[in-house]
Amino acid sequence: MKKFKLWKEKVNYFLVLLMIVITIEIFLIPFPIHFMIRIYIFLAPLLGLVVNISLECFQKKKYYETVLETMKELDQKYLISEMLQTPTFVEAQILQEILIETGKSMLENVNQYKYLQEDYKEYIELWIHEIKTPIAASKLVIENNKTEATKSIAEELEKIENYTEQALFYARSNTVEKDYCIKKVNLKEMVNASIVKNKNLFISEKVNIKLENLEQEVYTDSKWTIFILNQILQNSVKYMKKDEKQITISAKEKKNQVVLEIQDNGIGIPKGEITRVFEKGFTGTNGRMSEKKATGLGLYLCKKLCHKLGLKIELNSELDKGTLVRLVFPKNSLTMLD
Amino acid sequence: MAKILIVEDDKKIREELELFLNKHGFEAIGLVDFQNMIPDILAQNADLLLLDINLPMVDGEYICKEIRKVSNIPIIIVTSRNNEIDELLSLNNGADQYVTKPYNIQILLAKINALLKRSQNKDTNQNKIDCKEFILNVSKSMIEAENKQIELTKNESKILYYLVQKRGQIVSREEIMSYLWDSESFIDDNTLTVNMKRLRNKLQEIGKADMIETKRGQGYLLK
Repeated sequence: MKKFKLWKEKVNYFLVLLMIVITIEIFLIPFPIHFMIRIYIFLAPLLGLVVNISLECFQKKKYYETVLETMKELDQKYLISEMLQTPTFVEAQILQEILIETGKSMLENVNQYKYLQEDYKEYIELWIHEIKTPIAASKLVIENNKTEATKSIAEELEKIENYTEQALFYARSNTVEKDYCIKKVNLKEMVNASIVKNKNLFISEKVNIKLENLEQEVYTDSKWTIFILNQILQNSVKYMKKDEKQITISAKEKKNQVVLEIQDNGIGIPKGEITRVFEKGFTGTNGRMSEKKATGLGLYLCKKLCHKLGLKIELNSELDKGTLVRLVFPKNSLTMLD
Repeated sequence: MAKILIVEDDKKIREELELFLNKHGFEAIGLVDFQNMIPDILAQNADLLLLDINLPMVDGEYICKEIRKVSNIPIIIVTSRNNEIDELLSLNNGADQYVTKPYNIQILLAKINALLKRSQNKDTNQNKIDCKEFILNVSKSMIEAENKQIELTKNESKILYYLVQKRGQIVSREEIMSYLWDSESFIDDNTLTVNMKRLRNKLQEIGKADMIETKRGQGYLLK
């Protein structure tokens, strides 16, 4: 903390008074006044001033020190005005008044944005529900009129569907309130649902899928988890090059946890970039390859949603060998992982 | 023929769904008037109800609850609300299944079939498919012909079932795989080749090996 020297401002008073006293002493020279009285006239005003200044500085110092101390302890510094005692001197009273006013106005401002964001989130959710109806209708039309052209449109529709889903979860991930529901779910059911959802991608890319030991019960929100699995699996398929494309999904039981591992034999991630893959907007060397069109949102969202659900997500990768994503679930509803 | 009632306010979805279900051997009817839904639905006396949640006038969940009070008809809720809480709510209101839009149509079909099978107890009729040359017993995974019974694996049975459904049409390998994946058999290209080979060998045993014809670059054709 910066040291404030309150007395420095008062040095001027002292100097002015000193000048006045010296002038008075000079004027008094022709008069026969007792030596002691002269000293008194010289010292009394100066002493009085010093005592006054000291008292004032002490009082102010004490007050501002407590203010700075409380500030240091506060987590939300903007709440300082609520924590202040009413000061005894006017300057600080004015300042407190100002602080309270600015605090209030800032809170109003923040609330306005909070409300706007909430409003926007609601609109996005509504929009996404609306857009699903025309997507569903288009899919039905395609199902009833199968040609090479509609098949190609179906592929594009699937992309639209994935992007909308991502937007929905992005909106959900940003709110404070809890809009998920944690219950006991079978791991295999979620993995299967996610594979079925992405089956066209897997089949057209000729990916071989191996499932091992997935008969496990975990506590989570299945809709959210399936979304997370979708992101991970879509990433795996996106960054594959070899002829023998392989994804192995397996589960291991640990003390209080079930660890789900998704291993692919894709192109892997350069060492220096592994720690950054969960950052928002990070695309990396792989994502910048022209045809990949990485958004830098998938894994960021996974991490955020995992955090909300109380799951752990880890990623390991070796260049040209493949990537391993681990999802750690709590085995009972009371253990939450951080 | 099972009668399916579609309650859906989006005209296009309703009509395309009717078309699709009619093609797949159901009698599908869409509800057009949403004024007196509950009596109208009950009057149709359908075997299964496909119910949208977002409807004009009344909420789908309310309809579901009201119908459950008087009828045991299987109900599949179709909705674009994709969250756990709405799903729980619907199931608590007496719905049998919950499907979110945009749905995978094959899975919707499978759910309809499963529900109908359970509610109608017509296993014996529905699970044996007469294919003239042989009878495919789906529940036992068997081909029955001229006092011969040949056991099939689960995948072989599914493949044959799909080919029988599409008899006379060329079915691509991708289509077969897609069908198998929907029922959570995630087989790869090589496995499909092996399965097809075995299936042919088994048909050979009843002297029908050439029933499945390979169309190079296109797929398979069940004659």
